Amino acid sequence: MARADGENGTRLRGPSAEARDRTVAITGACTYLGTELIKLLEADPRYQRVLALDIRRPDLPPDLIKTEHHPVDLTVPTVGSQLAGLLRGVDTVVHGAFLSFPTHAASWAHELEDVGTMHVLDACAQVAPARLLLLSTTMVYGPSRGNPNWLSERAPLRGLPQSRYVTDKVRAEVQVARHADEHPETAVAVLRFAPLLGPTVSNYVTRFFSRPIAPVMMGHDPLLQFVHESDAVQALKRALDRDVSGPFNIVGEGVLPYSTVLALMGRVPLPMPHFVARRLYRALWATQIAATPPPFLDFLRYLCVADGSRAERELAFRPRYDIQRAIHDFLGLTAEDEPDIARAQG
Amino acid sequence: MTNGNDGNDGNDRGDEGRRRARTAPVDQLDAVPDALDPPGWGGDSPHDAIFTTPELWGGEAEVRENDYQPHVPSRFPDIESVASEVRELERRVRARLTPVFPLEVRRNPPLRSILRRYRQFAMRDRSAVIDEMGRDPVYASRFTPALDFLYRRYFRTRCQGIENIPATGRAILVANHSGALPYDALMIMRAVEREHPAARQVRPLLEDEVFHFPYLGTFLNRMGGVRACPENAEKLLAEEQLVAVFPEGIQGIGKLYRDRYRLQRFGRGGFVKLALRTGSPIIPVAVVGAEEATPMLAKITWLARVLGLPHLPVTPLFPLLGPAGLLPLPSKWLVRFGEPVDLGGEGGPADAEDRLLVARWAESIRSKVQDMIGDLLSTRGGSAFA
Repeated sequence: MARADGENGTRLRGPSAEARDRTVAITGACTYLGTELIKLLEADPRYQRVLALDIRRPDLPPDLIKTEHHPVDLTVPTVGSQLAGLLRGVDTVVHGAFLSFPTHAASWAHELEDVGTMHVLDACAQVAPARLLLLSTTMVYGPSRGNPNWLSERAPLRGLPQSRYVTDKVRAEVQVARHADEHPETAVAVLRFAPLLGPTVSNYVTRFFSRPIAPVMMGHDPLLQFVHESDAVQALKRALDRDVSGPFNIVGEGVLPYSTVLALMGRVPLPMPHFVARRLYRALWATQIAATPPPFLDFLRYLCVADGSRAERELAFRPRYDIQRAIHDFLGLTAEDEPDIARAQG
Repeated sequence: MTNGNDGNDGNDRGDEGRRRARTAPVDQLDAVPDALDPPGWGGDSPHDAIFTTPELWGGEAEVRENDYQPHVPSRFPDIESVASEVRELERRVRARLTPVFPLEVRRNPPLRSILRRYRQFAMRDRSAVIDEMGRDPVYASRFTPALDFLYRRYFRTRCQGIENIPATGRAILVANHSGALPYDALMIMRAVEREHPAARQVRPLLEDEVFHFPYLGTFLNRMGGVRACPENAEKLLAEEQLVAVFPEGIQGIGKLYRDRYRLQRFGRGGFVKLALRTGSPIIPVAVVGAEEATPMLAKITWLARVLGLPHLPVTPLFPLLGPAGLLPLPSKWLVRFGEPVDLGGEGGPADAEDRLLVARWAESIRSKVQDMIGDLLSTRGGSAFA
């Protein structure tokens, strides 16, 4: 299937006739985005077949007709040829096999995310699917002193060099960008999601904000950004429906200072200097009490906010949840539960 | 998009149907698709979208690259969002989550009333919706009386040439910088907000050393300050805001008292490039009095390096009185806004690449500000505190 749009993707197309009978393969089908995407594709008549690739069967209703699950372990060295066999006849590959929690098993995570991406790309190079979607995060921009308030898709991927979790994701992006250069027959789109927040998704952010007490780096109060879980899935579906290529920031509407986020969530801030927090978090991380390693404290010091206007322009994606509603939903509150705070914003 | 009130006439699903839908019990959700009519779309049918969205009858919606429209909530969502709305509601009901409209089944957080009280307490002096660059209107308004006191009573600021600031539209204010703490940025903000008939807000661009300084940077960010970088400045100017830059940067703040009112190099002319690229006029601003408010007698360089500060000032009161020594002395302040300089008439965005031209412009603006400072100093007369 050839790309109908110009290279800059300036024109939007509605669901077109040629988009019928698509076959989609999803790696990391057990992740939140993978599972929810399968449910959407199952309901969409334009998609004929869905391959759910993961080490175990995703948690899906039993009555799915289009979806077939194939056990695929991206950490196996020979998985490339297995994938190449599976991907035959597949026109769209969604690569989302990334961990939603930083893990202590850093070398296994490296095998899965960095080397696993290599295996997927090797298979794609052989099969040459029409489209490839990478599910990345805005973390790849990295929290940095030098960041502007709104990072566009052209911003450098500074990552977080001390964190292998972020570095693996940056490396996956670099590999995919190189693949896009070398294989122009495949339209490659990269979706960089802001941290997902919502009532059902589970990741390091939701776990961090589920605790009653949260550390605050003394004197620092960066602006934070989230995307609601259902908005993220909608954006992913839109990117799949439309023939787009290139990177897209998928972010929710609005930003709030970290201290205001804590106040809205009713969490107690615990101010401490950065060097104390670093040591404390090293201990908490080593004892597996904290969900995040110490380098992640930089997200509480410096800005890492992405600009979603390209997704709004080219995917016509508009988040339905702004940051305040996303927080309310995460807490399980509705606006009428919080009349005073809702009034304060108006 | 046309108004939907007319389109409603031919609609077979009248008001009665919708009223029935709103009151439908939960277990009938599947049977009554109209129950999935969420709030926020008014009383109009989402099916009206068919008349307004060319995509739905085979046409193509065309969006040009620079045709970016700000988020205007449409009354007619397109079919994709209707479908997604329905799917999302279905998902929420299946997962027994709080749906968009009230239901009996609602998740109950533990200690709901305590949580609620605490949240109200924690949100007491902050806004739940802030400016996209980080300005918190509630937080900022809390400090307005204190800043007004500084502006009127303490510094007895006299403001001249406020009419040079346009009532609408973008402009770059280029000011001299001085004092150990950026009081001048706050006073320029106050001056324009108080004296200008349109009460416009000024967004000062802060150098990294100030913006990332603990507490100070956060405070200035909530008050309206923005980290100085081309992306931020261009975004603000594109929104037709007033931007204040201090091209002397950290050199200006680190001036000794004996060098007062002698302007440092105007950076690398970033503000001129900005003006050329965005076609914004430059308004030179001179601030007199700030040098005497926190006169820096000496700098302790080695200690500043140890503490990781840009500079550690020695003023008559600091570090003698500890943190209280950072309060300014009651000098008399004069703020003058000069005639706008329009760079766009001479060239265009391409000129931003011409380094020599940029340097010439930067020097010309610098000498304008320097002349205005000289003027103000001579009108102020003998004592800086009178």
